[in-house]
Amino acid sequence: MSGNEINRRDFLKVMGWSGAGVALAGCDMPTTVTLEEGKEKVTSYVLPEEYVIPGVGVYYASTCQQCPAGCGIHGRVREGRFLKVEGNPDAPLNHGKVCQMGQAGVQGHYNPDRITKPLIRKGGALVEASWDEAMDLIKQNVGAESTLKGERFAWVTGTVSGHQAVLLQSHLDAMGSTNHFAHEIVNNAVSQAVNREMLGEAQPAYRIDEARLIVSFGADLLGASQSPVHFTTQYAKFREAPRGVLVQVESKMTLTGANADLWLAVRPGTEGVLALGLANALLVKHKRDAADLPADVRDVIAKYDHDTVQRITGVAGDRIVKVAAWLNSQSPSLVLAGGSAEGQAHGYDTAAAVMLLNIILGNIGRTIVSSGDLPFAQMEAKSGNTAGLLALADTLDKGGLDAVFVYNTNPVYTAPSHLNLAEKLSAVPFKVVFAQFPDETAMRADVVLPIHSPYEDWGTHVAGYYGNQISIQQPLMEPLNPTTRGFGDLLLGMLKMRGVAGYADFEDYYGYIRQAVAALPAEMKADAGSEDKYWQQVLQRGLIPVQRKPRSLTAKAIAVSLPDYAQDSEYPYHLVPSPRLGMWDGRYANIPWLQEAPDQISKVVWDSWAEMHPLTAQKLGVMEGDVIKITSDQGAIEAAVYIYKGIHPDAIAVPLGQGHEKEFSRYAKDRGVNPLKILSPVREAKTGELALYGTRVKLAKAGRNEALVKLGGTDQQMGRKLVATVTADVFRRTEGGQDVA
Amino acid sequence: MSLKNILENWSNYRRDREAGGHHEYEHMWGMAIDLNKCIGCNACAVACYAENNLAIVGKEKMTKKQGMHWMRIERYWGEPDLDKLSQSSSQYQEHGANFLPMMCQQCNAATCEPVCPVAATFHTPDGLNAQVYNRCIGSRYCSNNCPYRLRYFNFYSYYESSWPAPLHLQLNPDLSVRDKGVMEKCTFCIQRIRVAKDKARMEDRVEKEAAVIKVGDSTFRAAAGRGKLEDMEFQTACQQTCPTGAIVFGDMLNPESQVRKLWDGHQVSLGKTKQTKQNPEKRGYRVFEALNTDPCVMYMERVREV
Repeated sequence: MSGNEINRRDFLKVMGWSGAGVALAGCDMPTTVTLEEGKEKVTSYVLPEEYVIPGVGVYYASTCQQCPAGCGIHGRVREGRFLKVEGNPDAPLNHGKVCQMGQAGVQGHYNPDRITKPLIRKGGALVEASWDEAMDLIKQNVGAESTLKGERFAWVTGTVSGHQAVLLQSHLDAMGSTNHFAHEIVNNAVSQAVNREMLGEAQPAYRIDEARLIVSFGADLLGASQSPVHFTTQYAKFREAPRGVLVQVESKMTLTGANADLWLAVRPGTEGVLALGLANALLVKHKRDAADLPADVRDVIAKYDHDTVQRITGVAGDRIVKVAAWLNSQSPSLVLAGGSAEGQAHGYDTAAAVMLLNIILGNIGRTIVSSGDLPFAQMEAKSGNTAGLLALADTLDKGGLDAVFVYNTNPVYTAPSHLNLAEKLSAVPFKVVFAQFPDETAMRADVVLPIHSPYEDWGTHVAGYYGNQISIQQPLMEPLNPTTRGFGDLLLGMLKMRGVAGYADFEDYYGYIRQAVAALPAEMKADAGSEDKYWQQVLQRGLIPVQRKPRSLTAKAIAVSLPDYAQDSEYPYHLVPSPRLGMWDGRYANIPWLQEAPDQISKVVWDSWAEMHPLTAQKLGVMEGDVIKITSDQGAIEAAVYIYKGIHPDAIAVPLGQGHEKEFSRYAKDRGVNPLKILSPVREAKTGELALYGTRVKLAKAGRNEALVKLGGTDQQMGRKLVATVTADVFRRTEGGQDVA
Repeated sequence: MSLKNILENWSNYRRDREAGGHHEYEHMWGMAIDLNKCIGCNACAVACYAENNLAIVGKEKMTKKQGMHWMRIERYWGEPDLDKLSQSSSQYQEHGANFLPMMCQQCNAATCEPVCPVAATFHTPDGLNAQVYNRCIGSRYCSNNCPYRLRYFNFYSYYESSWPAPLHLQLNPDLSVRDKGVMEKCTFCIQRIRVAKDKARMEDRVEKEAAVIKVGDSTFRAAAGRGKLEDMEFQTACQQTCPTGAIVFGDMLNPESQVRKLWDGHQVSLGKTKQTKQNPEKRGYRVFEALNTDPCVMYMERVREV
């Protein structure tokens, strides 16, 4: 099938040669040649392996590791090969559904650019080495006999949960360090902080399916969110008769915005002002009861009358009136903040202003309910954020680290240039990256350990959102490369290396997980009959349901303070670095299916582009495909423009995903730009998160045109009935439900 | 054929083979796609790549519109229906995007079939518009004639570059990898249909009697010995992954199937060039129905609150 396929004659020749090789080697060769020794036994399929029926696909349950959502999957396996991902219908999180990133996981597993051998830095370059060599180095540097002390060691990871989190914590404890920097670009850390203060719980559950109206301020529920498939399955229910209404407020159209009944473009960073304006209209025009609101909160809301809000946000007055009327009449509603709304210097206050609406409308306890606490607290997800990245940079600045271990995150790619992370990291004497791919961070390591793909490894996970189960990850096939190792096995190995008590008995991570499941309370296994049967049940189902202990949410209204909109004469535009379902934060640029899968909005493939409003394009005198230079105080990037009306004229959006270094992947090489690199050092004031959407830029024509490569021809229907639209009242007349007043 | 003749016999045009009862049908696979639910996320399209061994062609060939996406999500900005209603000339795309999942419509009066000089594309007793790769000589007449633009031609031997080792290990062994000079398109996951039909037959689940089944305005003679498949016994790859459940697939000859109920419920019938609905507000429609292609895919109109 592949390009360098050997033909039949070559095949026989190879067989002949290796046959001769074996004969020559004679008695030096062991009688059975095993996988570990790099040779395979050739066995006829007339005698198939146990459980393998030639020609019949078998499905095994596991857990998707493509993003932190943790959807349940079924992997199709045929003749020992893992072929396809399907959703696990038994998983209440995703109801048998998966997104395109989940589907594409199989191309990560079989990726031609996977690292298959340990790499060690020798004389400045990474060279292939044996596992013994690599592990010896690790032992020397961070083993029990090393001089490395406590806080001079750190783990840098993406979101981790389940037993992985438990073992990581044990390893940190063994090292005597508290430095665990968890980093994700797609996060809702600011909203979590607001929820903690106002509701008393960082991540409550949103009942999208129960809401009759959702007003989302930049929260891309259906796209780059905490649990895209979960939210989407809920959204499908939300859209059934009587059909809820979705309003999206943002400055660049996200996938969620593209599905809104009303998409409102706000001047970037003024989402909070609109939220307070809506609160004002509810209290003044619609006379909602505000007796419970503290006086200072009422005072703030009173400042944002109709005209002020219209002036600051740039949203037309009749739209504000309409959304306020909907909020007043549709109950229960759900108002959410996320993405571009919280990624500002005043992101906390914006998210708090949005939460005020939920309090005024009485949504707390109805569409925002407690997620509760996991009975196994140490397995709870440690969600990554950008504060983790900044803390890492700060610690490195102080020269505070002698050894850094990195897993499942690529901070060198995602860190803005102003953090100088690559340089700072290279000053650390010992860096180990547990990697599948030669990404930017791995390429700067001293030791790169090739780990199993998620489809070759064991694991348990608890989703950061809707963690109502311990999700089981089981290998779907034998490791593709005999020289990769499981991350859990390596963690266990390092715990043993430090001589931590209690781990010596576990031969491998599988044994550890088995033991952990065996140690679960007996009442959870009552139906199974025996321990073995229970384990089989767990594997078949792919998850262990757990009862979370609900809390009662508080509804504490707090006074917020939002800045007026300030023009910047030097940098008049706002940069929107947009993540999306597909490329995510750039980690999937090495997957050809996802490169060739068009962006949902612009339909561009295989490249970066810059989204721009027609008015802005007119002002600059550019047409589609014209390249512009986008300059911030931290540098410049260039991209061809895509012009449409789904963006505010003051905003310029550049998607995340491209602009990788050449080693990462043949599919990402020399492709596009990374907008994260030119982010200004703007921090969210209260949480210290990186304000991802807080960068001002100026635009200039680069003077050349590079036609965008897009799916499809025209954007218009030209009078053909391709996508027809009916109004919701027609829908309700024929399919049921009351009209929206 | 005179113009008068064409106009008078339009609804029978290209259907004469069927009208005479050319086939004894086993199934009539059909689809219903709800645009109220579809969010345009593209999961279906990637699932299709994974299931059907679709080649990656790269940026340069995508420039020439040579992508092999059997399932594609079209996105339109213009909204003639809503613009009329709201009469607003907003400077923004206020009602979001118009997404349309588009794949082979498995027409019962397919425009591609009669023009194939070697009968590589023909209608099966399952109501599918099949493509026989071995027979295809690459004339591309079918592609020229398809009003939906969803036939994809192998201009190159994509297998040489599309699956560098070990990516080729992912290829689905249930269907072939196509070589240069061959036309391909959505098959409604015929390999999954095949497995389900074989299973039914092995389990002796067959209809013993021949029957005449009316589906809307079309009458199908159903063969004795056809498999008795449960509705949702298997799913197409796109349907299975669709996070909103917007895609429903099944047998139109089975009056209990979800897809048949949706067609009936939305008063859309096979065998028509213009639907005569009792309730014209029902959302079902077929794309380019007036061209008399008689597609087996029904869409349900997108909905917006205004």
